[in-house]
Amino acid sequence: MTTLTAIPRTPSLAAPRRRRVVEAAVRSTLLGCGLLAIVIAVLTAWTFFAGSLPFFSKVGFAEFLGSIRWAPITVPEGYGTLALLADTAVITGIALAVAVPLGVLAAVFLSEYCNPRVRAWLKPILEVLGGIPSVVYGFFALRIVTPLFQDAGLDVGFWNGLSAGVVMGFMILPLMASLSEDVLYAVPRSLREAAYALGATRGEVVVRVVLPAAMSGIGAAFILAMSRAIGETMIVALAAGRTPAWPPDPTQPMMTLTTTIVNIATGEQEATAFIWSALFAIGALLFVITLTLNIASHFIVKRFRELYE
Amino acid sequence: MTAAAELRAPARLRHRHRKSSLFAVLAASSLGLGVLVVVLLVFSTLRSSGELVSMRATATAGLSLSQRAVAGDSVQAPYVGIAQVIEGSSAMAVGIADGDALLTIGGTPVEDVHGAWRAVGSLPNDQELTRVGWVPHLEALLGEVELEPIADAPGKFRPRLAWLPDDSLLAAAGIRSGDVLLAVNDWPLLGSQQSWQTLVVAARQGAGPVQLRVVRDGVEQAVSAEIRRTGELTLQRDFLAAIWHFVTALDEPRYPEHAGLSSAILGSLLVVLVTMLFAFPLAIGASVYLEEYAKRTRLTSVLQVLIANLAGIPSVVYGIIGLEVVCRTMDLGRSILAGGITLGLLILPVMILGCREALRTVPPWVRHAAFAVGATPSQVVRHQVLPYALPGMLTSMILAVSRAIGEAAPLILLGAFLYVNYRPQGLMDSFTVVPIQIFSWATYPQAGFETIASVAIVVLMVILLLLNGAAIVLRNRFQLRW
Repeated sequence: MTTLTAIPRTPSLAAPRRRRVVEAAVRSTLLGCGLLAIVIAVLTAWTFFAGSLPFFSKVGFAEFLGSIRWAPITVPEGYGTLALLADTAVITGIALAVAVPLGVLAAVFLSEYCNPRVRAWLKPILEVLGGIPSVVYGFFALRIVTPLFQDAGLDVGFWNGLSAGVVMGFMILPLMASLSEDVLYAVPRSLREAAYALGATRGEVVVRVVLPAAMSGIGAAFILAMSRAIGETMIVALAAGRTPAWPPDPTQPMMTLTTTIVNIATGEQEATAFIWSALFAIGALLFVITLTLNIASHFIVKRFRELYE
Repeated sequence: MTAAAELRAPARLRHRHRKSSLFAVLAASSLGLGVLVVVLLVFSTLRSSGELVSMRATATAGLSLSQRAVAGDSVQAPYVGIAQVIEGSSAMAVGIADGDALLTIGGTPVEDVHGAWRAVGSLPNDQELTRVGWVPHLEALLGEVELEPIADAPGKFRPRLAWLPDDSLLAAAGIRSGDVLLAVNDWPLLGSQQSWQTLVVAARQGAGPVQLRVVRDGVEQAVSAEIRRTGELTLQRDFLAAIWHFVTALDEPRYPEHAGLSSAILGSLLVVLVTMLFAFPLAIGASVYLEEYAKRTRLTSVLQVLIANLAGIPSVVYGIIGLEVVCRTMDLGRSILAGGITLGLLILPVMILGCREALRTVPPWVRHAAFAVGATPSQVVRHQVLPYALPGMLTSMILAVSRAIGEAAPLILLGAFLYVNYRPQGLMDSFTVVPIQIFSWATYPQAGFETIASVAIVVLMVILLLLNGAAIVLRNRFQLRW
């Protein structure tokens, strides 16, 4: 608008008042929508802070993070999350052990070997598989994979961490594959061509040039997949059971942070009870872990982009 | 040096190439494995959901089956109990009653409930009437049973038929009131319920009568008795009727063949409607502001990082936020409205990211041209940018909505109910949704509930596939190439 004021004000050139009002209104409405993200973030922070305050005023951080005993409704109560954290870590580890090698190799195939027409078919299929709701994967784990493991002679219980982890791995595989594929795709052509020019075979180009060049981006994808696995709820709530295992044993029922939240929320306790502030404390822990991982991945990707752009 | 060495050593070169192609095969099979495993899981679910048609066939004949088992000293075996016979049904007309045990369907002996449904499923399609065999329940078969202690086995009791009704099949075989049952087909009979169950399993062994040993007035006798009744039932398999019943009926916590998905479907629809009304305008507004209006300031870059990271927060955490902010602070309770707004908060960041991506595909010269002929920013957005970006924005919205439809964790936290036996009437009603219904059925121990859970999964996946398909078509058809 500065250009308009510089011109001598004639009625025809100055923007009509109505028009200015409309512009300002549209602008501020849109700004309001944009600020909503901040509102959500503030609400989240406030929810967790205010909600878990009564919890941490009674239970110290040392007990919360250092004790293995999680027994909020028995007397005496125990509010240690170490066993829950360990179970979460084991199930996440199993999931990543499935998703990362398969996902990265699938991404290599899609970006380095596949012809474009097949790729145009495969990517939407992967997208659709990634869009299957997690409760469906939970059903797979509980009703198909666990019986399969039992038939195969594995000594697993009706609820166990192993099948939950394996199925979760297949669930986050599309995410891992598509994130890694983006990264591999972004590796400049010149690097590949230089390697070919030196006489490298196709496999050598991928293993010795493309993958190392994409390593930080794949690391970021790995971290995102990890954060997704840690926050996954329905698979573990259905298939992993509801008893914390210490020491963590994936053939036995396990209880993750997310299952604990579901457990408290579906329990019979009164809404005002102290256990509800434990729900906020666990939620806050989960929130902090996943947010840290997400931000870490964000900055790794940013550095990776800067490297090649 | 190495290059020269390789020229002289083609074997090593061949080795390198073989390794290279091995790696290609490895990569391809990883992708294949990832896709194949999930596809197989989906197909196995699809296959087990086919059982619904047989379940409905027995249900329309009036039978509710339940999985029972005899855990006796000599016999451990499952059998199919009849939990309920509907008043006035064809099953009641042929004389089947609550508590009977189902033995055969169309000549096939059935050992468990799934076997019974499989037997119904393999009946010829054009068959009008099917012969079924069953053993009448304890009171009808054995009458009043008294327990006699056994002298040489303390704590064990033999059944004495204190009073045998005249129309009992045992009476027809010549057994009288006062007889003591010793054994059937060489299995000792102990207790009253266990004896009856053992008789059921014995009757299933062969087509003919069972061989009983009884004690009458102190004398042991062998009696051959037919304890099975047969009758003809209409077991009509009707795929469309079964599906229709399933999507229109209410949930039923005891009999899976009568349970339906209607309150969950209606709940899902209403929740998603609220989600869309809440999130669409906000997502469009926020993305247009960030892409078209905002200058690159510290505030907007903070906003960007914030939105990207909000999109990655676990959904169960949004459930906690919804519980505290929407249910309690906004005082919406555990209603459809609260569920919709919570899901709206959940998909908002994802949608904003997608919409911004779509807006970014509109090239800057479109905007410059419009500004050059004197359009105001809002006119440029309305007439130039939005029309071009709309297909892309719609795609991201559809994908976000399909995520909201499949989401269960945040709604469980809000207290969407695991068992709802009414259809929600308004937005302030409590509710359940399809994924939560699946969650709930998957955890029921009774046989049959995992079948209807898989049918519900198929219904959910069909809805999601349609939405995803629409998104892909939109993207391919309306995507403009610049």
